[in-house]
Amino acid sequence: MEVTAGWYLALGALLFVIGASGMLLRRNALVMFMSIELMLNAVNLTFVAIGRHVGDLNGQVAVFFVMVVAAAEVVVGLAIMIAVFRRRASASVDDLAMLKG
Amino acid sequence: MTEISYLAIGPIVALTLGVVALLLVEVTWKPRTVWLGVIAGASLLGGFVLAVVQWIKASDEPDIWFRGMLALDPFAAFGAVVLTVLGAVAILVAWPLILEQGRRAAEFMALVLLALTGMVLMAAAANFIMLFLALEVASISLYVLAGFNRGSAASNEASIKYFLLGSFASAVFLYGVALSYAATGSLTLHGTAKFLADNVLLDSAALLAGIGLLIVGLAFKVSAAPFHMWAPDVYQGAASGVSGFMTAGAKVAGFAALARITVTSYGPYLSDWAPAVGVIAALSVVVGTLLAIAQSDIKRMLAYSSVAHAGFILTGLVAGVDGVPYVWFYVVTYAFQVLGAFAVVSVVSGPAASKSSLTDYAGLAQRAPVLAGSLALLMFSMGGIPLTAGFLAKLYVFREAVDAGYLWLVVVGAVASVAGLFFYLRVIVLMYMNPQSEEAAATSPDIRVSDPVRVALTGVAVVTLAFGIVPAPLLDVVTNALPF
Repeated sequence: MEVTAGWYLALGALLFVIGASGMLLRRNALVMFMSIELMLNAVNLTFVAIGRHVGDLNGQVAVFFVMVVAAAEVVVGLAIMIAVFRRRASASVDDLAMLKG
Repeated sequence: MTEISYLAIGPIVALTLGVVALLLVEVTWKPRTVWLGVIAGASLLGGFVLAVVQWIKASDEPDIWFRGMLALDPFAAFGAVVLTVLGAVAILVAWPLILEQGRRAAEFMALVLLALTGMVLMAAAANFIMLFLALEVASISLYVLAGFNRGSAASNEASIKYFLLGSFASAVFLYGVALSYAATGSLTLHGTAKFLADNVLLDSAALLAGIGLLIVGLAFKVSAAPFHMWAPDVYQGAASGVSGFMTAGAKVAGFAALARITVTSYGPYLSDWAPAVGVIAALSVVVGTLLAIAQSDIKRMLAYSSVAHAGFILTGLVAGVDGVPYVWFYVVTYAFQVLGAFAVVSVVSGPAASKSSLTDYAGLAQRAPVLAGSLALLMFSMGGIPLTAGFLAKLYVFREAVDAGYLWLVVVGAVASVAGLFFYLRVIVLMYMNPQSEEAAATSPDIRVSDPVRVALTGVAVVTLAFGIVPAPLLDVVTNALPF
């Protein structure tokens, strides 16, 4: 059986949905953030598969930009999480319920 | 498709140079804060002047530069003009907050300029990856600005909520880009448009899913319902001095990006995406208005009202390219109003404060007539009372929506804007007719408006009244500020 671009797109979609579910269901800020990274990597897989399928380099190049942005997000995200940790020694987002209404 | 144009990146370069200069000057000389303000002001002025030059040149021969990355058209130039002015007003409004930051003042202003760089790019990007980068530059700077007040638990909470939901929205947006790429084989906005004009898609499912995810991702950023959950917490938790900039800047840039991709790339599919935009608009208007009525904190009220306003602005977008000028009119006038309203909040409850109860505003007319007067004018305008810019903006978007056949949406919008008057007028009644309680009067300090905030508020009030009475100059400009 030949593995066509469609398989990669399906895998990408599956990973994206797993990431999105993790984001919506998990309550630990770090795990939620990992889920977002999974979503971004699912998109990367999709980009590469399509780029290869249509013979267009833009799809491959896009991945580099996404990885750079993801790295920048990690830096800021972890800094924010550390600021929160210092205050309450818990990563659960359920504890962050001061602002509501 | 030509290569390099220094004019196309002019405003971005001016803002980026400002960021670098601020940080280098700060570590080298540690000057007084006012000199840092001068640097930021010079950078914004440079960006503004270059954006005006762009506007003059772009009207003659709009073009795409850097191999399809950046557009130099009236749309991008107008976005840059508005955003640089908005940035200057935001720095004035945040000035008391900046002075409180001590040695971190340079970082603060650098982040504001960096966010503006991303926002200007969002209005100019002609490639989806470029747009994603611009979106992230703006968003990441705003996450940090939301949590800038590290010592405050509310600020921390706002920051992490904004970060998690904002990154989620960015990922959703990016998957939309990937699906659109899968359907059309192009990552440029014009390549996508050309492919869709030349080909009939046998199966448009991937394309429609892509457009849907793109719209959802940007709807998150402009806080349209049902993707607005983060907005009240973030705008309340962030320092009052900077909430206004976060609301106004994100709205202007988000709607610019949304208008450009829907109109330029997916114009032929108007009948597919416009109903979805209409539903988001109706939901935003209803949810924003109903929840704003229930609020007892003015920052949360303004946040929910910004959700409702996002709905009104989307109402103009259902008309496609015809609605774009009125989307501009609405978002520009609203951006200055919300910036002014948060400026008043930052004076009344302190620039670094998170909470700002409505009861603090009782009897404000006696204590600070200038503040009360400006806030009353802004509330009238947001509520849509005639002779203010807010009234005309609503009128225009409603007219466009009716012309496009969305009468139901206009009916929903009109009913909601009447209901919305309740919470806008409540603030005015509190300020002018309710006296301050005895105990509050004994404890509350005198309210002093610093000069930069006074200048900003005067400017905002003049703009709101001037475009409410004589809209023609702004209308002339926005009808030309179209993406191409």
